[in-house]
Amino acid sequence: MMAVSRLAAAAAGLITALLLQASLISPLAFPVPVSLPALLVIVVACYAGPGVGIGLGFCTGLLADLGSDHPAGVQALCLLGAGLVAGKLGGLAVQRGYRTRGTAALAAAIGTGACAASGLLLAILGSHAASLRATVLSLPPVALSEALLGLLLVPLVRRLLRAQGIRSPRPAATVLGRIPVAEPPAGRRSGVAA
Amino acid sequence: MRTLTRRQQLSATALAVLALLFISLDFAGGSLSGARGGVTGTLGSLYRGTDAVLGPARRFVQGVPQVADNRQRIAQLSQQNLELQRRLTAAQLDRATAAELGALQLQADSAGWQILPARVIATSPGAGFQWTVTVDVGSRDRVRTGQTVTDGAGLVGRVVQVYATSAVVLLAADPASGVGVRDSRSGQLLLATGRGSAGLSASPLDSKPDVRAGDVLLTGPAGQTTYAPGLPVGTVTSVHAGADGLVTAQLRPAAALRTLDLVGIVLLSPRGTHRTPLTPGGGG
Repeated sequence: MMAVSRLAAAAAGLITALLLQASLISPLAFPVPVSLPALLVIVVACYAGPGVGIGLGFCTGLLADLGSDHPAGVQALCLLGAGLVAGKLGGLAVQRGYRTRGTAALAAAIGTGACAASGLLLAILGSHAASLRATVLSLPPVALSEALLGLLLVPLVRRLLRAQGIRSPRPAATVLGRIPVAEPPAGRRSGVAA
Repeated sequence: MRTLTRRQQLSATALAVLALLFISLDFAGGSLSGARGGVTGTLGSLYRGTDAVLGPARRFVQGVPQVADNRQRIAQLSQQNLELQRRLTAAQLDRATAAELGALQLQADSAGWQILPARVIATSPGAGFQWTVTVDVGSRDRVRTGQTVTDGAGLVGRVVQVYATSAVVLLAADPASGVGVRDSRSGQLLLATGRGSAGLSASPLDSKPDVRAGDVLLTGPAGQTTYAPGLPVGTVTSVHAGADGLVTAQLRPAAALRTLDLVGIVLLSPRGTHRTPLTPGGGG
């Protein structure tokens, strides 16, 4: 039951992001190629871990690919990578207790990387609309606008992921290992425990 | 930093390989066209619904930067109006020419273009991806692939994909788009190519190019282009001659590609190719 509701939430989020992108974000941000679906994948992966990031990234990318004219698989590959990186680095952000601004900045950085990767991939594949120069020139405005968009998206995603029905059954942060701590001096033991 | 479990590593690799497989499949030939058509058609209908809700808000935000611009625009238009009136007076001096122009105008009217209004409901992300917009009319409204799209002021692009209730328009600014154009002053032919967000550029086909800043380029010549002839494509803003002697003209697009909203699709009428001969004394 939990898995079904998580899946439904993921699908709803994905399609909403794609629709908002085409009818609102793209026309308003023109000609800066800001991508709301990519940002959503990254922010979700930051909180839910690389496993979710990989799956959600691939599905979102493939749907975006099939809905447009460039070779299918380009966005799928880039968002898969973005979800993976965000899932791994997101653990670090959660550990260090990053708040909205820190997470938005991290997401914008990864989103800009994904934008660069897709531009590069399209240029290699010989898409007429892509060139290395145009890709590089578009990166600073993309980083800025994705950071702004991230400030709105991060609290939303955090609240949504905490919702009872779609909460992860296991804690998302995994314990890597235990560091043996030297026995503290007897006098300070109570201080450490507090 | 989180580490991947073995299963996650495996699935990441599998999905990456799958994505690469998709890229190579699609790159080699359109073996994914069925899936693509299904997804694009479905998204098209969803875009219609979304636009009905979000469209007004978007149009309002898009209009905000132009509020201050309007005063300047009025001044510009009245200047243009005066210029046109002056030209009209000059044309009246030559009655024969005027009569001929009138007859040609009638001819153009009788060619019977029908323009189908359409609303832009979705825009592609641009930069690297193709420059396309999705409009809310489709094959049910007699839209066909290859038809010309205008915004009333100039050429917007042409229809590349048609679904039942939506169609995809490739903008003239797309770097893959080439339009055969004619210089309205010198009559020379040029090829206008999209430059993405930089607008358009045109290169003359004539060995002795005669293009100047301020020239207006129109689609044409009739019969030799897939576009409806005689639509303004853009105004030449500057002309550069390269070291190799190649001349390139920068264009300011006639259509406002940044704020496309209501566009018209030129449906050529069934008698579009049929012409009635001019008869003596038949002109205006």
